[in-house]
Amino acid sequence: MNGKPKIGVYVCHCGTNIAGTVNVEEVVQFAQTLPDVVVARNYSYMCSDPGQALITDDIANMGLNRVVVASCSPRMHEPTFRKTLLSGGLNPYYLEMANIREQCSWVHDDPIAATEKAKRVVEAAVVKARRLEALDVKEVDVEPSCLIIGAGIAGIQAALDIADAGFKVYLVEKSPTVGGHMAQLDKTFPTLDCSACILTPKMVDVANHPNIELMTYSQVEEIGGYIGNFDIKVRKKSRFVDMDKCTGCGDCAAECRLAGRIPNEFDEGIGMRGAIYLPFPQAVPAKYTIDKENCLFLTKGKCGESPKCKDACKAGAINFDLTDEVVEFKVGTIIVATGYDVFDARMKPEYGYGVYDNVLTALEFERMVNASGPTGGKVVMLERGKKKKKKEGEEVEAPKAPQSVTFIQCVGSRDKSVGNEYCSRVCCMYTAKLAHLVKDKVGHDCEVTVFYMDVRAFGKGFEEFYDRVRREGVKYIRGNPSEIYKKGDKLVVRAEDTLTATPLEHETDMVVLSVGLCPRSDNREIIDLLKLSQSSDLFYLEAHPKLRPVDTASDGVYLAGVCQGPKDIPDAVAQAKGAASAAMIPMASGKVKVEAQTSVVNEETCRGCGFCVELCPFTAIELVEINRMGWPVKVARVNEALCKGCGACAAACLSGSIQQRSFKDVQLLPQIKALGVK
Amino acid sequence: MVDVNKLREKAKEVVSRDDVRLLIGYRPGTYGFRARPAFVLGPDEVDELIFTPACVNNLASYITLEEKLPVPRGEEPDLRKVAVMVKGCDSRALVQQMEEKAYDRDRILVLGIPCKGVVDMAKVEARFPNVLERGEIALEGDKFVLSFDGTREEVAREELVADKCLRCRYPTPLVYDELLDEAVERFADDDYSDVSELEKRSAADKWAYWEEKFSRCIRCYSCRNVCPMCYCEDCVLDRLQPQWMRRSVDISENTAYHISRAYHLAGRCIQCGECQRVCPVDIPLMELNRKFYKDVEELYDYEPGTSVENPPLLSTFKVDDREDFIL
Repeated sequence: MNGKPKIGVYVCHCGTNIAGTVNVEEVVQFAQTLPDVVVARNYSYMCSDPGQALITDDIANMGLNRVVVASCSPRMHEPTFRKTLLSGGLNPYYLEMANIREQCSWVHDDPIAATEKAKRVVEAAVVKARRLEALDVKEVDVEPSCLIIGAGIAGIQAALDIADAGFKVYLVEKSPTVGGHMAQLDKTFPTLDCSACILTPKMVDVANHPNIELMTYSQVEEIGGYIGNFDIKVRKKSRFVDMDKCTGCGDCAAECRLAGRIPNEFDEGIGMRGAIYLPFPQAVPAKYTIDKENCLFLTKGKCGESPKCKDACKAGAINFDLTDEVVEFKVGTIIVATGYDVFDARMKPEYGYGVYDNVLTALEFERMVNASGPTGGKVVMLERGKKKKKKEGEEVEAPKAPQSVTFIQCVGSRDKSVGNEYCSRVCCMYTAKLAHLVKDKVGHDCEVTVFYMDVRAFGKGFEEFYDRVRREGVKYIRGNPSEIYKKGDKLVVRAEDTLTATPLEHETDMVVLSVGLCPRSDNREIIDLLKLSQSSDLFYLEAHPKLRPVDTASDGVYLAGVCQGPKDIPDAVAQAKGAASAAMIPMASGKVKVEAQTSVVNEETCRGCGFCVELCPFTAIELVEINRMGWPVKVARVNEALCKGCGACAAACLSGSIQQRSFKDVQLLPQIKALGVK
Repeated sequence: MVDVNKLREKAKEVVSRDDVRLLIGYRPGTYGFRARPAFVLGPDEVDELIFTPACVNNLASYITLEEKLPVPRGEEPDLRKVAVMVKGCDSRALVQQMEEKAYDRDRILVLGIPCKGVVDMAKVEARFPNVLERGEIALEGDKFVLSFDGTREEVAREELVADKCLRCRYPTPLVYDELLDEAVERFADDDYSDVSELEKRSAADKWAYWEEKFSRCIRCYSCRNVCPMCYCEDCVLDRLQPQWMRRSVDISENTAYHISRAYHLAGRCIQCGECQRVCPVDIPLMELNRKFYKDVEELYDYEPGTSVENPPLLSTFKVDDREDFIL
């Protein structure tokens, strides 16, 4: 407390936003009658320079020690006016805002009633301002390092940017190789440059960069701490291959008894691998991994006389005694770049995915057209699940190319029936790209048809590309197919051409489902680690959809790539670069301010029930044992660096023992009373 | 019925243990067939212990109610276990208290009494006026046997048993170190018919009903003090800064008091019914608590005090929690 409260009240017109409905003059006159109010003024835009000068002048000339600004929601301008108070020499937490715009003038028509309400709101703010306390803004040091979770294109780009700026990066990837979904793609729209050609140099860079510690086949297990000082625990899963010795020659994989018998995840299951494998030739690191779910030696304890891979390895790198390694380190910031899952086409049973051999997902098709894929880039009819007959002397019939390929767009996107209302933003264009590749690889006589709802070609060069593909003879039919069934060797797509209102049955050899992008099925793991929020589409939620698109509600945690919402490669890279610069701000300045309106526990009355501990979305509260009159008792304690001042704890505390600074019961109750019936 | 000799023998064994400070059980009241809590500090005190259908008190309350006096400098606090006798319903108070981390499991030693029901003294009084003070009561088979003035009356269990026992889901304690009798199967399930009746009334009707009830309240705070879930050392309702409600006894403050208490018990009340039993002015507090109990069960499929592993209801949320009742 700095003496008796001397309050200045500043009522904003906000142009006509407030003054159009509320009689601001009347509110000012009323405010002047309130206890401890020394001055009340109005101004057209309080947030403008002259508006703020009114406040600082009054602080200097009248000795104000509390300020009430009656204007808009504190969300936008509370920081503005806090700075005003600070520049006037007052503690910034002696500010109280009265929201007479969103909660008054914008929602009421009757000027008289709105003015009366504005007076109440101002009175409530004045009553609270009398009880405000000065708060200290604390600073914490920031560890100059960043954890990036996920090494797809977004994670890679963010890692390279941060590492190039001179900060340490820990890049953690769950699978055995970096690259993510982009590495699976053949060409990229709309320029048709080869995905691998532009991605693999970056993959190699992250592995070689002196500032990047790459941890593949690893998972973040625990995250504690707060911005500037996160404590990270990562489990490096055992590959049963000594990373230092493995030369990546591949002798082991060739010898594996299970070679060619396990569906390769990287090839979306249409290609096969063994129990020891390299996901794809350009994998980084180029080290082999033993899949312990399948390896005969690791599951059954026996692999013939001795494991063939071990015998084949000249470097002696294979060691079945290797175990998982847990590493711990500290970072200052975290970027989440965990990417997506493609939509599970089995959720649309009418399309027969998983039933008919030649109904493919676009990602499977992508692997097929990829030169490094299982068919060497040839588009061929698939015979799934059948073992190759290997009779002596019998020639295996070469698989045939399809005569017609049909694409169906919006599978799992813009579809309430599967719970995905959103547009996946990439399918229209990758469909156009794949349609072009069919024409390119199979030949121009191959009939290519696309069923679509709308074609959204919104990006740079997209419309031009879509136009080009149509000129190449790809037939676009507007209509969402209702069913696919088999007739002889052919698949029949039943649909309606909605532009001509004609029902049609379209015969084709192969159907490619343009599946959308979905939040990862293991999204929860990261949510539990970092207490992230999700938007209604279940992608991770950014702090503000427009102005803070790479930040999260947790300070020091940023989002990059599709984990935040569907986007194409350029957008993912742009966001990654955004997240990288956002993460570098605290690292470069070396210090961050932490929330001052934190919770505080009265340890005398706390009964240690731990409701607040369970509820805290930021894991800022823990139970600690204290000595109360000689008795060991547990009480809640708040880590002020972690607390964001959300107030969930204070609302839940049955004994009222946890209070949020600036929102204490003794501050709020008079405020509520002032709003109540007189 | 629990064999009283076995009970005393077990109690003796328990209080003789070095790591047990105290046993909380039941002993006969000053007169009549009333029972009252007994605090047994040594083996020589166990002979007064009993268990009869008159043992209505929920002894779980005393564990948290016991005042922790300041420990003189240089002395160590006595952290030995507290042993407690609990019926099925009372055991849920222990479970809920432990869910809320009031104490650790190893701080208590629980003697569980599988219970076939306790009597409702008001029902006895209505049936046999003015005999409560000079008789005895026991449960034989499915009948209560009352002996007074040289007569012996047998009454069907259902007629005298407390309402809460009629719908008891957990007659056998859910937490115990030793069970003093054979486990008892649940008698009936709770169909909440009483709550449904109340729910059907109009808002004005409900208000008139509760206004009359609350207007009787003398703010003796017996309901709060007896409640096993009301164990904050410093109750918010007692505070002056800020003062959530005035101490004056009037309909407005009484209503605020009872509604606050009911909300503080939402998802925590284990339906032992002690608040209503001790109310000197017969406010049917369990009707209020049971409404919350029913809502919590229907909305969140949660029953307080049934598993120590459950986090307390109001300290958790699920993404798919119902929210259609939010305005």
